[in-house]
Amino acid sequence: MGNTILEIRHLSKSFGSHEVLRDIDFTVQKGDVTSIIGASGSGKSTLLRCINLLETPTSGEILYHGENVASRGVNAAAYRSHVGMVFQSFNLFNNMTVLENCMAGQVKVLKKSKAEARAHAMEYLEKVGMAPYINAKPRQISGGQKQRVAIARALAMDPEVLLFDEPTSALDPEMVGEVLSVMQALAQEGMTMLVVTHEMAFARDVSSHVVYMNQGVICEQGTPEQVFGDPQRQETRDFLSRFRSN
Amino acid sequence: MEQFVKLGQDMALLWSNYAGNFFDGSGYLGGIRNTLILALVATVIGCVIGLVCGILNTIPYTKNDPPLKRFVLKLIRIVVRIYVEVFRGTPMVLQAVFIYYGLPYFTGNAVQWPSVWAASILVVSVNTGAYMAESVRGGIISIDPGQTEGAKAIGMTHVQTMLSVILPQALRNIMPQIGNNFIINVKDTSVMFIITFTEFFAFHRYLVGVNNMYFPSAAIEMVGYLTMTLAASLILRFMEKRMDGSDSYELVQADQLTMAAGTYSHPDRGTPFDEHSKEHREKTRQMLKHGRMRGER
Repeated sequence: MGNTILEIRHLSKSFGSHEVLRDIDFTVQKGDVTSIIGASGSGKSTLLRCINLLETPTSGEILYHGENVASRGVNAAAYRSHVGMVFQSFNLFNNMTVLENCMAGQVKVLKKSKAEARAHAMEYLEKVGMAPYINAKPRQISGGQKQRVAIARALAMDPEVLLFDEPTSALDPEMVGEVLSVMQALAQEGMTMLVVTHEMAFARDVSSHVVYMNQGVICEQGTPEQVFGDPQRQETRDFLSRFRSN
Repeated sequence: MEQFVKLGQDMALLWSNYAGNFFDGSGYLGGIRNTLILALVATVIGCVIGLVCGILNTIPYTKNDPPLKRFVLKLIRIVVRIYVEVFRGTPMVLQAVFIYYGLPYFTGNAVQWPSVWAASILVVSVNTGAYMAESVRGGIISIDPGQTEGAKAIGMTHVQTMLSVILPQALRNIMPQIGNNFIINVKDTSVMFIITFTEFFAFHRYLVGVNNMYFPSAAIEMVGYLTMTLAASLILRFMEKRMDGSDSYELVQADQLTMAAGTYSHPDRGTPFDEHSKEHREKTRQMLKHGRMRGER
């Protein structure tokens, strides 16, 4: 059990009377690359945002190393610094350069020295291939480049698990590749990742677990071979067939 | 035409006799000095008040927070709301009288204002603060909430998020508002004559009381105020440009991941779904030619 990072138990979330998530249960082990797939509006993003406490779950538990972070009085900021998040719309800080974006969290939250933060940030910017652009402002680089910076920014915090919320959905088709290849490299290095995605090829080839969500519940989960190769539920088959048509 | 010549002569006469000294606070120039100092100090203090109110007003709270925190935050919002409505909704000239004479009245003349400067700065600052509070709130909510989420996601607290991410951008967005307020203050400090503050307009009132040259003096005042506000506009524009920073940046080296056409790698590479594969190109060609793929029904 020492390898379990996150354990989600009976998680539910409603917006008003609209129930978005119902009784979600799953665990994230160290080194897992879990893809969450499903149609738009099935609650994938809400689930991810609940895990990062950007949304407050209506009920249920989120156990981070056995401690329930969804309860009252938990220091959400401290927890979030261990759980990185990459957003669909990048959410870079527009008033900072690429390098400053990757240093801000280290300096302000982890209280590292500037030199240390800079060296660490450069390491990850190098990894995502954005080292040449350290002096650029977010408005000066392309969407794919922004997302790579956002990944480096999250990595620079040395998170235990990295959440991706549809990281390629806001990108032009020719930029999807550059972001996916960075994510693939991360997965191969053993980074624990939780990815909400519409990229079925990524879910099938890169992830170790696939979770299929439908209308706020986990409909089916398992290895990619199980879910893609031999889906048990009719909903899953219907969903996947839409991606096979090409 | 004669009138203009006469006006010119009168203005020159007034100016040569009463131009005064910018540094010792006498004459027209002294009035200009007092006006500028009051407007500048009050705008700066007003902006600080506005920033504090704006930040306090936008502290988020959720249902999971302890009831005490929620109560305090709600109370703060109500207090700020009342402050803004009261000082935005009453004339500044009245506020000046109210505060200047209110303090001795309530303390039975035990406490007097140390100087008319202190009272004037307080009134104009508090007034500016009320307007700025709303501008700052607008500036903060105009920054896309994604950036707040981005900052939270790397573990920043609300104060850290505000200070390092949101406020620098909000401040840039409300620069035109700050400029507006400064220019309004340059002009509206003229009502401070009511509590005997000797700024630019007060000197005019004093002078025409002595020599009855109402119109030439007013003309000098017009030119004087317009010069101050135009200079302020220019300086503010310059500051805005400075805040925007340079539009260019230097590449430190070449980027290896951004593709030159056709050289990038992606998961579909080598499969028939790769847009650059022979199969895919053939498929596209066929579709263009026949309207659909060969063999597809």
